[in-house]
Amino acid sequence: MVWFTDRHYFLLAVTFYGLSMIYSVFLWRKGFRRDEWVNYILLAGGVAWHTLAMTKRGLTLHSCPVNNLYEATTFLLWALGLATLVYALMPKFKFLTAFTAPVLFTVGIFALMPSLDPPHGPKPEFSGALRSLHAATILQSYGAFALAAVAAAMFLMQQHDLKFHKIRALLSFLPSIQRLEVITTRLTTVGLVLLTIGLVAGAWLPRKDGANYFADAKVIWSALVWLVYLELLVAHRFFERSSRRFATGVVVVFVLLLLTFGITNHFSALHN
Amino acid sequence: MSVVVIGLSHRSAPVELRERFAFPESNIPDALKQLRESGLITEGVVLSTCNRVEIYAATALAPDDQFFARIKKFLVEHHAYDGELGDELYTFAEPHSLEHLFKVAAGLDSMVIGETEIFGQLKKAYDLAFTHQHTGARLNKAFQRAFNVAKQIRTETNIQRGSVSVMSAAVELAEKIFTSLAEHEVLVIGAGETSEKTARALQSRGVKRITVTNRSPERATALAAELGGRAVPFATWPEEFERIDIAVSSTAATTHVLDRATLEPLMRRRKNRPLLLIDIAVPRDIDPAVSELDNVYLYNVDDLKAIADEYLKLRHEELERCNEIIAGKVAAFLKAKRLAEQFR
Repeated sequence: MVWFTDRHYFLLAVTFYGLSMIYSVFLWRKGFRRDEWVNYILLAGGVAWHTLAMTKRGLTLHSCPVNNLYEATTFLLWALGLATLVYALMPKFKFLTAFTAPVLFTVGIFALMPSLDPPHGPKPEFSGALRSLHAATILQSYGAFALAAVAAAMFLMQQHDLKFHKIRALLSFLPSIQRLEVITTRLTTVGLVLLTIGLVAGAWLPRKDGANYFADAKVIWSALVWLVYLELLVAHRFFERSSRRFATGVVVVFVLLLLTFGITNHFSALHN
Repeated sequence: MSVVVIGLSHRSAPVELRERFAFPESNIPDALKQLRESGLITEGVVLSTCNRVEIYAATALAPDDQFFARIKKFLVEHHAYDGELGDELYTFAEPHSLEHLFKVAAGLDSMVIGETEIFGQLKKAYDLAFTHQHTGARLNKAFQRAFNVAKQIRTETNIQRGSVSVMSAAVELAEKIFTSLAEHEVLVIGAGETSEKTARALQSRGVKRITVTNRSPERATALAAELGGRAVPFATWPEEFERIDIAVSSTAATTHVLDRATLEPLMRRRKNRPLLLIDIAVPRDIDPAVSELDNVYLYNVDDLKAIADEYLKLRHEELERCNEIIAGKVAAFLKAKRLAEQFR
């Protein structure tokens, strides 16, 4: 009997994310005044356990572990955690971890609900390179949107503090608002490109006879997500929508994405 | 042999008195020679700045009231001072003399707490005395330790963090909005002294270009030439808003030179680029209503002063940590001295 399953490893990862979130509260309260590595190390610990959990599940399935809601959510969180660790290496970006940790922890706790991870048969019902590409790129795009939302939240906080002359804006070791805006735009663009690839790959997948691709709740929802992000980028880039509105849009859309992600899966015939 | 200090500073004496007791640099070696020849001290360093005049000395005599009274007499006679003297001259014997030296080196006794200029001035004063062989083992050790402690305090505490002047606060703000100042242009409205200082502070951080405008075009041209920038006529400066990202305004106008109605169409032409407006004029040049516009960050002189004061407050909060470090270092220094004396 295996005592330590991939879910236990993920539980350890979520514990690290939780510790990072608790530490983040202190960082918030102190106003991000000292440039430090503690939170980065905690988050890196979480991502390490998370990687182990996903590797173990992937090796068991002999495929990319993106076959149910648990696997999809953990994959999304892993993409977000890893991207945070990479971006946090940029000058003055270490506190990105403090903004990401609450998302990783709360969504991680949600993913641990047993009903999201029904037992597989000997092999997942859905497999193949194209299906893996479809699921993986879409989940990576959500990871990019999540990180964009985190950068946008940092932008909104700094922008508000600078606008209303809060000393915290100067005391904190956070990047300039101009840099935060650039990062938010780039991550949203990357997310949109990945989502496009994922959706196109999904359109090429074989379907059961009679299944209507464009009548599926998940497909419609994904197309809507794609359109909304496209609108955000186009309005900001070509129609001078203000940086504050763009950042607010990126945060709001991602929160809605997160809230509706599981629900649309439930109503999708193609994805159940 | 112990280290003593006698002197006056911005804390104890007004500038009129400090300037009477100031030592021109060229006179310091002679003054130290006289003091040593008097038999009062065996080693000496004179620190003479605009904020303090102090003699650091090593003496074999007992540092009592009589001893300090003789040094005071030397100072009064040396400067031919004939006025009254009360508590303006302070004196310290060990361990307080060493504590004072370490605090001065770390900028803790400066007018602006944590400033670093005093470190260089103290080093220069020590080098001068050392070059003229007025220092020996005792003062050499004390000063070397003071410099090390100052460096430690700089790295381990926040005593030097932040801008404590209006100009540097403006620069720090700009760096929180823009990623690199090298890509941004500055418009100086009004060629007064304050705007010039702020422009120079921004220039020292590498802003791309400075444009100057003033009601009197001659002054604008002169300041632009000094700053290596260009001058534009006062009537056309709003046109510059399409290119510049930082505007420093300090005119003598009695009404707003920039209001919301003027700026709003200009902001549309800027295509979402943030704009930092620094209004250091009194009465204010820029209508506060402009800060309601997206991407506009307006700071007036009171806002900048509040930032500088906040940093100063934070530096004061760090004083306790610094004093703890200094107390530990002084205790260790005196312990080492006692041990060395036992083995001699």
